[in-house]
Amino acid sequence: MRPDDERYFAQIEERLDEAWDVAEAAKEQGRDPEPEIEIPVARDMADRVENILGIDGVAERVRDLEGEMSREEAALELVTDFVDGNVGDYDSREGKIEGAVRTAVALLTEGVVAAPIEGIDRVELLENDDGTEFVNVYYAGPIRSAGGTAQALSVLVADYARALLGVDEYKPRDIEVERYAEEIALYDKDTGLQYTPKDKESKFIAKHIPVMLDGEATSDEEVSGFRDLERVDTNSARGGMCLVAAEGIALKAPKIQRYTRNLDEVDWPWLQDLIDGTIGKDGAGDGDGAADDDADEGGEGEGDADDAGSDGEGDSSSADEPAGSVRADPSQKFLRDLIAGRPVFTHPSEAGGFRLRYGRARNHGFATGGVHPATMHIVDDFLAAGTQIKTERPGKAHGVVPVDSIEGPTVRLANGEVRRIDDPEEAKEIRNGIEKVLDLGEYLVNYGEFIENNHPLAPASYAPEWWVQEFEAAGADVAALRDDPHVDLEHPGVDEALSWAREHDCPLHPEYTYLWHDVSVDAFEALADAVAAGDVVEGVLAVERTDPVQDALESLLVEHAATPDALRIPTWRPLARSLGVDDGLRKEWDEADLSDAAREYADGENAIRAVNEVAPFEVRERAPTRIGNRMGRPEKSESRDLSPAVHTLFPINEAGGPQRDVAEAANVMDDTGHRGRHDLEVSDRVCPNCGEHTYAALCPDCETHTEPHYECNDCGTVCEPDEAGRVECPNCEWEVTAATYQEVDVNDAYRSALETVGERESAFEILKGVQGLTSRNKTPEPIEKGVLRAKNGVTSFKDGTVRYDMTDLPVTAVKPEELDVTADHFRELGYETDVDGEPLRHDDQVVELRVQDIVLSDGAAEHMLKTADFVDDLLEQFYGLDRFYEVNERDDLVGELVFGMAPHTSAATVGRVVGFTSAAVGYAHPYFHAAKRRNCDGDEDCVMLLMDGLLNFSKEFLPDQRGGRMDAPLVMSSRIDPSEIDDEAHNVDIVREYPVELYEASRELADPEEVEDLIQIGEDTLGTDDEYHGFDHTHDTTDIAMGPDLSAYKTLGDMMEKMDAQLELARKLRAVDETDVAERVIEYHFLPDIIGNLRAFSRQETRCLDCGEKYRRMPLTGECRECGGRVNLTVHEGSVSKYVDTAIEVAERFGCRPYTKQRLKVLDQSLESIFEDDTNKQSGIADFM
Amino acid sequence: MPLESNARIAKALAERGYNAEREAITLLAGAADPAAAVAAAVDHAPDEALRITADHVREATAETERSAASPDANGQSPVETEGSAARGAGETDAGSAAATTDGTAVADDRSDASTTETTTTETSTTETTTAETTTAEASSADRSRDPDLRELEVGNDMTGRSTGTGEYGDFVTTFRDRYERLSKILRGRVNHRPAEAIADMPGGSDAAMIGLVNDVRSTKSGHWLVELEDTTGTFPALVMKDKGLADVVDEILMDECIAVEGTLADDAGILFADSLHFPDVPRTHNPGGADRHVQAALISDVHVGSDEFMADAWHAFTDWLHTPEADPVEYLLLAGDMVEGVGVYPDQDEELEIVDIYEQYEVFAEHLKEVPADTEIVMIPGNHDAVRLAEPQPGFNDEIRSIMDVHDARIVSNPATVSVEGVEVLMYHGVSLDEVIAELPEEKASYDEPHKAMYQLLKKRHVAPQFGGHTRVAPEERDYLVMEDVPDVFHTGHVHKLGWGKYHNVLAVNSGCWQAQTDFQKSVNIDPDAGYAPILDLDTLDMTVRKFS
Repeated sequence: MRPDDERYFAQIEERLDEAWDVAEAAKEQGRDPEPEIEIPVARDMADRVENILGIDGVAERVRDLEGEMSREEAALELVTDFVDGNVGDYDSREGKIEGAVRTAVALLTEGVVAAPIEGIDRVELLENDDGTEFVNVYYAGPIRSAGGTAQALSVLVADYARALLGVDEYKPRDIEVERYAEEIALYDKDTGLQYTPKDKESKFIAKHIPVMLDGEATSDEEVSGFRDLERVDTNSARGGMCLVAAEGIALKAPKIQRYTRNLDEVDWPWLQDLIDGTIGKDGAGDGDGAADDDADEGGEGEGDADDAGSDGEGDSSSADEPAGSVRADPSQKFLRDLIAGRPVFTHPSEAGGFRLRYGRARNHGFATGGVHPATMHIVDDFLAAGTQIKTERPGKAHGVVPVDSIEGPTVRLANGEVRRIDDPEEAKEIRNGIEKVLDLGEYLVNYGEFIENNHPLAPASYAPEWWVQEFEAAGADVAALRDDPHVDLEHPGVDEALSWAREHDCPLHPEYTYLWHDVSVDAFEALADAVAAGDVVEGVLAVERTDPVQDALESLLVEHAATPDALRIPTWRPLARSLGVDDGLRKEWDEADLSDAAREYADGENAIRAVNEVAPFEVRERAPTRIGNRMGRPEKSESRDLSPAVHTLFPINEAGGPQRDVAEAANVMDDTGHRGRHDLEVSDRVCPNCGEHTYAALCPDCETHTEPHYECNDCGTVCEPDEAGRVECPNCEWEVTAATYQEVDVNDAYRSALETVGERESAFEILKGVQGLTSRNKTPEPIEKGVLRAKNGVTSFKDGTVRYDMTDLPVTAVKPEELDVTADHFRELGYETDVDGEPLRHDDQVVELRVQDIVLSDGAAEHMLKTADFVDDLLEQFYGLDRFYEVNERDDLVGELVFGMAPHTSAATVGRVVGFTSAAVGYAHPYFHAAKRRNCDGDEDCVMLLMDGLLNFSKEFLPDQRGGRMDAPLVMSSRIDPSEIDDEAHNVDIVREYPVELYEASRELADPEEVEDLIQIGEDTLGTDDEYHGFDHTHDTTDIAMGPDLSAYKTLGDMMEKMDAQLELARKLRAVDETDVAERVIEYHFLPDIIGNLRAFSRQETRCLDCGEKYRRMPLTGECRECGGRVNLTVHEGSVSKYVDTAIEVAERFGCRPYTKQRLKVLDQSLESIFEDDTNKQSGIADFM
Repeated sequence: MPLESNARIAKALAERGYNAEREAITLLAGAADPAAAVAAAVDHAPDEALRITADHVREATAETERSAASPDANGQSPVETEGSAARGAGETDAGSAAATTDGTAVADDRSDASTTETTTTETSTTETTTAETTTAEASSADRSRDPDLRELEVGNDMTGRSTGTGEYGDFVTTFRDRYERLSKILRGRVNHRPAEAIADMPGGSDAAMIGLVNDVRSTKSGHWLVELEDTTGTFPALVMKDKGLADVVDEILMDECIAVEGTLADDAGILFADSLHFPDVPRTHNPGGADRHVQAALISDVHVGSDEFMADAWHAFTDWLHTPEADPVEYLLLAGDMVEGVGVYPDQDEELEIVDIYEQYEVFAEHLKEVPADTEIVMIPGNHDAVRLAEPQPGFNDEIRSIMDVHDARIVSNPATVSVEGVEVLMYHGVSLDEVIAELPEEKASYDEPHKAMYQLLKKRHVAPQFGGHTRVAPEERDYLVMEDVPDVFHTGHVHKLGWGKYHNVLAVNSGCWQAQTDFQKSVNIDPDAGYAPILDLDTLDMTVRKFS
């Protein structure tokens, strides 16, 4: 680590320590459920593992082992420690196994995700039929987040521990084996598995696996055979078990085998059969045979697509030249499940769509795609920074980032003018006059994306950065030209470009290279003749306006203006030259000069060869790859509120009304004339000093911190929690909680809370509580905190923290200016130089961002300001300490620390605010996102203000249910170790320039690995001094917040309005087939909706409107059997038929297939048949149609 | 003699816009040059005629022959008709009930028939003129192709009578009607008390209740809890595992009507069941029968428009219908899925030969025209047809009816009962069979023995009891799915498997299909029975299955 980096982390940790001390002082007062901060700091992965598990000594051992072996080996090595009792304080054998298994999963998931705590419920020792003991591991749904390898390894670890402890293997009964097979198939049908083992395979695994896989029911679907087994608690599918068996053992068999070989104690010879894939093939029954066929068919389907493509390739590379250029195969996949209101921008590989350009902008990489901000406006603002798009390649989805150093869109205006737009302001001005979007401009994808997705390189657009390397190779003095103020290598003048092309053996500059591959040879010849027949008036070429010529110019993206009978081309000389027409408009060739090879190239649909035969210089294919894409989900930047919103985690039953208004609950009068007394289920706590019982964390009498009081409901025994925090009654052998029903004077609690913090009721509009608490001990939060939240306009999440959600986007270099801060701010933060090593003086210098620095969206900043005010009020008015943040304006937030935290994880990462953006996203270093286990393809997660987390988070508030500890900051990482983050981020390339070899390789659809050595990626610097810096980029962008702030999807009104806009856009874009869009909207949105609701209607449940009781079938009594109330349907005609008319109209308007129209008609008639009385039909309904 | 099939003649006539009497077709087929004869007959038919009758043909042939001056051809046709009629009758008598005649046999029959015809013609040229009148008489007397003798009535047809508007109340009415009509059947057998009354009875008393099954659960200890509901409320019955009722509990479906008899628990909160009763078909059921020898072909699942529709098998079937052997087949009952439909499952268009739904029905109508014109046809829709999926399904709308107006076929709702010359046939497409097969143990209902699943429905006296699952329900003013009267024959399709058998004297027939194995069926390992036509003797209720593929 460089000293600079040391200073950076020291700076962060210093601020963290400051906050820590304050928070500690506050917590020590005992006003919270625990008298200490509940988010421990982890400096590294080992710390996180220890903290997340809560097992002492793990971290030390992990650090010892880490240097010597891989993480997987370390996980197995730790088993011996657990068994010998060196690590963990477990007496029982099952406890030891459980500890070892959890630790293994935690290690393999780097102590971030919640799988080790939420995904493994417990380990038990049960008895085999022969009287021996076996191990039963009880998995739960969240094990999913661990991934297949960790799941599989957890089984191996359990088995290894079992062997070391001398416990016998699991000997399944036949019915249990059958049950596994049925259950896994059921789960796959119901929920879906990445890999579905055949029945034979499932049975094979069940038969041989040496520990029993068990788990809790995760769905309502029940198995039909093999029910009520003695050793299986449930008849429903056990999701965790199914995942471990299918996606773990069956799918990752080769990986586990590697580790079993190193262990003498365990022997899983049967894995070999799984790996060989012989299970379910030989001797399979008919049933399996059918499944085989099915799988094969699926395979064939995909194979076909590939074959078709590779045929094309084969032809082109074979000796018969005139086949065509190399292209990546179009793929339809991204169009699947098209959603109404989310438009298609480019049909698969369609001309006029996004053109692939290679490069990484500074706000780019890590599953993002660069789009020109002008394009974002041209597509009716449907794209904004952070909008997710589903793409054809290289991955499945991207987050959109604005990049204006690539080419913008080309449009035809209503007056016939064709113009390229490279300025977002211009785009906004003219967008109402756009008749057709001929081209969407370039789409920037970084090389690392291809590595990450292991996708063959697709042919690159011809771009200045490629041309300049060829120019240099051709002998030009590029360095001199770069220094020449009169020369712009990226956008040269016509004369320069033509002379360079002539004088050097170098292709024509991309600026003047048109999209010849998109016009046919015939169109090319027609255009050449038209140009030769044209006139030059005042330097502008006028050619006769005919449809073929106009079409050709539009396909080529040649800018021109149109009069009723002429097309006027201002920049015409490069075009004429490419057409083999000289400056005097003399055509220098005739038909006979074109070779057959050129004529027949790509069946005459690609004129690139013809151009090269007649032009005096080489012309490259300008945009051989178009990337199909459509909108995925919109970007997000909004505060996370529970529904209904909650200010305080204090229960008020039904008394607060639907608003959960605490004041209202405090005012309700009971039979005895008392106000605000309610029977609530809250925790029973006892004062260690005076023995007083209370629900509050602070004894009302002596102000001592109280402890939960665990009293068994049945026998009254007072119990103590064990080392794992579980409380079990020694007599009754069940779990005991501190929650009891007691009469609580809400009125008094509310009034005294107001008094404590010195606020009046008028300080806030409403204070919302909760109906009931979901935590185990039902410990309520002091109402004071809620009062101050309400006062400052923030609400609480289930764990007591205030959160703000944002879509993740990466950025590796920023300008203080665009973040609405100054160079001074940056210097204070420790930034000294810009990316070129120049001292940082000006606000517009580009500075490389540090790994834990983040940029807040405007909304997040505002929310954090409110949170800071809340925290300060809390410190001052509740804890009686000094204010900590003292913010007045948002600049004051710069340098403050926040927590970043993603769903399904249990570890927060500390980040530092460096600026703000008007884009509705959270920009941060890709490593920061990766540390939270996110990439940037439309994922979103939250930020919390550091002090808020430290003060207000408590595990006591977490729901006592599966997944309750997910999304809770059980531990924080104070610094990011690049080796301990999601390795996807290591594939971000970090160079300033791509080598020409990349572009050349892309023309052959080469494997990205072939040029890996030439392009540095994050992985290359891991473990070196450079691991924290040196993230260079190939493309700049003026501002990381360009383009619309919000996608039109969010600003448009209802679904119909969105869909109209979507279809309107489809009409406008050349690369989009609007009929196909309409078909898909109907096929994927309207039809499933109508059909699904119709099906739901005819087999629906009913519900009592008065008491909410549900009935599977309508009661014969007609009314509610529970309360005599009104029962009604849950699916009504309205929800079934709401889209029918629209769908029919859309099908008609966009000329959908008769098949689609007929389906709609049949459905419409079905609806009529069900919802209309034949004997009482409205007369003449047909007259209105 | 050219091997011109009757079906092809019928088709040729249909192309020219005519239907034809069976006899006319036979005459034409027997002509020396059938093609010319067809042309002549058409020419000869009066302009307003829609149907070519035997008279037209005779006149036309006579004219042709007069002009051709061929003396011995004059009486050819009537004699031939006589010969084949006799043969056909004999064949059917000889054919054993429930025996499958295989394809080759059918083909042989046909060539036999033609040789017979030839010989007959040669030997009987002399008695031409006299024979003509006798034959005419004989055909009306012996072979019963006299429409006046036919009796066909349709009951329980709700087409055009769907009054439900999808309100909550409609559902309640439907289920109440189900309860009223089915409980009536059980009332004689147990001493029924309403749920409300049972709840007030003292512990230990004997009690019985009739209700719709609200819930069936197995308890942890392996007993079953069956909750019954009547119009006053619900009451739970506990079926102990050692009572020997396990088998019965296995057969229970949700929402069917059953009776439970037993003893109330001491706290009177639950009924310990001693016995369970289904509405069932009485063992004494005495089926009706025609008072003459006449037959009905029971088919279903034609699936015209599918890539897998077996046109050849269908042609073989309709050809056979024109043979003398098939002469008694005066009725054709079609239990749904005339066409493959559109949008029945995702991406269905990829497996459609005819993508247009109307064209599917048009082509189906063309295929139906191959059936002898004087056959009585009754059709109900199935889940592939262009009507609502929710049951009961009304017969088609006018647009589709007008396409299928061939032969004046009767198009009625699914389900419907058809009374054919004294035989009550319950026609139901059979969507609920999937559910019965899925819910019940394999030995009680399976795809290989679809008729056993049908027995279950007979036992429950309801064609689709379970609500909320696979089967969709459209609420109406009555529950059209109840079998209030016991049918003599229960005819279904849908599962594409052939199976038949008798349950308490009721013949249950699932009639196979005319669609070869689809990719989907392949994936779930269903091997359909395609190209079979069960032929039912309406006088004896014996059945012969003929194979045409």
